[in-house]
Amino acid sequence: MMFDYFNSLEQGLIKKINEQPNEPNPRKKYALAVAQLGKKLYSEDNSIAWCGVTAPFDLLSAMGITSCFVEFIGSMLASTGAIEQLLLEAEHAGYASDTCGYHRSVIGAAQKGLMPVPDILIATSSPCSGGIAAIENLSRIYQKPLFILTIPQENSQSAITYLANQIKEMVAFVTYHTGKKLSHDALMASIYHSNKVRDILCDVFELAQTVPSPADSNRLKDLVIVMALFSGSSFAVEVAQAYKDEFTYRINNHISGIKDEKIRLMWIQNRIQYKNSLIRLLEDEFNAVIVIDELNDIIWPPIDPDNPFEGLAQRAISIPFNGPVTRRIHHLQHLAKAYQIHGAINPCHWGCRQGTGSRGLIAEGFKKIGIPVLNLEVDCVDPRNFAFGQLKTRLEAFIEMIT
Amino acid sequence: MITDIPIKDIPMKRIAYFCAYTPIPIIDAAGYIPYRVLPITQAQDQAGHLLHDNMCPHIKRILDRAIANDLPDLYGAIFINSCDAMRRLSDAWQIVRPDDHTCIIDLPVDNSSLSIEYLSYEFDQCSQKISQWTNKEIFDVHLQESIYKMNELTKTLQMIQKRFITQHPKGGSVLMQELYNDISTSSLSNGLTKSNSFLKAIDNIPESSRVPIYLFGNVLPDPESFQLFEDCGATIVNDDLCTGSRLFHPIHCNEQHHIMQCLAQSYLLKPLCARTIHSPDPNHMATQLIQKVQSCQARGVIGHTIKFCDPYLARLPAIRDALKKEKIPFLLLEGDCTLRSIGQQRTRIEAFIEML
Repeated sequence: MMFDYFNSLEQGLIKKINEQPNEPNPRKKYALAVAQLGKKLYSEDNSIAWCGVTAPFDLLSAMGITSCFVEFIGSMLASTGAIEQLLLEAEHAGYASDTCGYHRSVIGAAQKGLMPVPDILIATSSPCSGGIAAIENLSRIYQKPLFILTIPQENSQSAITYLANQIKEMVAFVTYHTGKKLSHDALMASIYHSNKVRDILCDVFELAQTVPSPADSNRLKDLVIVMALFSGSSFAVEVAQAYKDEFTYRINNHISGIKDEKIRLMWIQNRIQYKNSLIRLLEDEFNAVIVIDELNDIIWPPIDPDNPFEGLAQRAISIPFNGPVTRRIHHLQHLAKAYQIHGAINPCHWGCRQGTGSRGLIAEGFKKIGIPVLNLEVDCVDPRNFAFGQLKTRLEAFIEMIT
Repeated sequence: MITDIPIKDIPMKRIAYFCAYTPIPIIDAAGYIPYRVLPITQAQDQAGHLLHDNMCPHIKRILDRAIANDLPDLYGAIFINSCDAMRRLSDAWQIVRPDDHTCIIDLPVDNSSLSIEYLSYEFDQCSQKISQWTNKEIFDVHLQESIYKMNELTKTLQMIQKRFITQHPKGGSVLMQELYNDISTSSLSNGLTKSNSFLKAIDNIPESSRVPIYLFGNVLPDPESFQLFEDCGATIVNDDLCTGSRLFHPIHCNEQHHIMQCLAQSYLLKPLCARTIHSPDPNHMATQLIQKVQSCQARGVIGHTIKFCDPYLARLPAIRDALKKEKIPFLLLEGDCTLRSIGQQRTRIEAFIEML
């Protein structure tokens, strides 16, 4: 089912991109990269690693491993509308409905045989305790070897060394279980592309701060977190460059993402992954645009090719969900100022102790800089309790308050 | 509103802790009482304005205590980055009690040699931080002495537990939980004295003919919960709770390794909380549980987990399957750190015990 979905998505996107050879088409190219990754995962002729969000995907790619964080599959299942049965499957097997829907859905998919069987699993302690437990469960279900990466909380030299040494051990683990080795040249190529993507995205996000925004609310949706999955490839550089080209063109020609932008909003944590009309409501009825997603930022330095393991470690440690919530709040405050937002929307993903757990602390942080926050009670992947009417009323009241 | 030990009887100052992975000997060696803040309180539910409703009630009750100032005088607090909820408690504590000395220890998820090394560094950092707060260095000799006390205390508690398995003293688990609560808020010396007295008194407690049960889970500190089990016809012969047997464990020292390394190794290799992963065997927790149940000859297992605890919630299906395979009866209870929540389960507990 999923292979066919990704295959037809790929074919359709290639056709559309070819029809407009002179257009940058960043979102289509991004979607194409996603489709191609999905196709590889489900093609049954690659070595597969199911991973935590902060695994070094570019390094794994350099080793010839097709790797992916499991939440990606959760969001794909939600966006294709196939998730409800899988959530039920997991719940019937005893996985509590209080837990994160991303993780429950992949467990359900694994129980149903809808996930590609991995060769190995690599769990990461960041961003959340739920993710690591889900990967341990997948390891038990598939009876496949599990490696753990503890992502330290502090960005200190001892923490970086600890994680860098774990990544080195991970390389040995991957080689032992898959026979795939890490060649110096492949690693250097991957690091080169990752750094290149990083540099271009820094420019993209600077352009995205322009008022009015060159992007509509969905232009950059999920970009950085998903780009990490293929950032070690030359195609990722092409995708990033397409964004830069498009935004430069739009800014130079005074083309904004939405017509007559009035309200600039930040979206905290991750998007609602199933089809819904909230974004359209914001854009069409209120001329409000999501100008920045919390996770769309580059906060790590370029990876030093002479010391790649430490660079990869530093990147994993740097994500704002890691460490004390004050780090995350400072980052949110910085983004709020840089993007000149009027308000922030926090979709409090049910089951997320890591992100949603700190809802009150985040609201306090925004209050300090005078930015109102709307907390929405939703599950970002489970549409069963999605109450559009209630959410619409709350959004309307929030926008009214801002204006 | 302070609900555990009377403060005036204790002249030493306290350093608060919240998680069973806290290096108690370091606090003791610094000359402070390691004071476990238990989620037992009459304080109003106010934590929700800082932490979401779907957060662990253990953490929220502790935060309620902090907000209501339902705490004794504290010199500082040591947090463990053991799970998302503990991390968030540390964050919220800084807002509620900004003047406290605090330290957070980064706890690795597994027990590899790299992780043991890192945790020993973290313990060392914590020790140095406490020394800075107090302007008093913690010498190895102090630490060795505290480790000795911790080991003696553990030995005594294990002897009590062994007696429980053979004697089934009436009301024993209630008294045992009271003892755990008492010693987890006392200095190690006081804890040792109290547990020795308890050991001597066991023989005077009449035996019960109740059904031997093994209890596992995360947090269940209220002795009245144990009274409920007894009232329903069960006797808890052994437990695996972070407010019970998992709190005190032997620390193995040797001359080849630095004392912090020995401490780190002992903490990471002790019986695992669900948040710690034994990567070579993803079924490790279930396997260990079955071994423990069989060794204490329990006739059934009660699991008690706090709502919204992801590490436990994620492992329950595997545990349930493993127990089913071994034909060990299992009852799962979910609580929120209030007696009311477990009291509502009385009928289920009674039915389970009757079945056995």
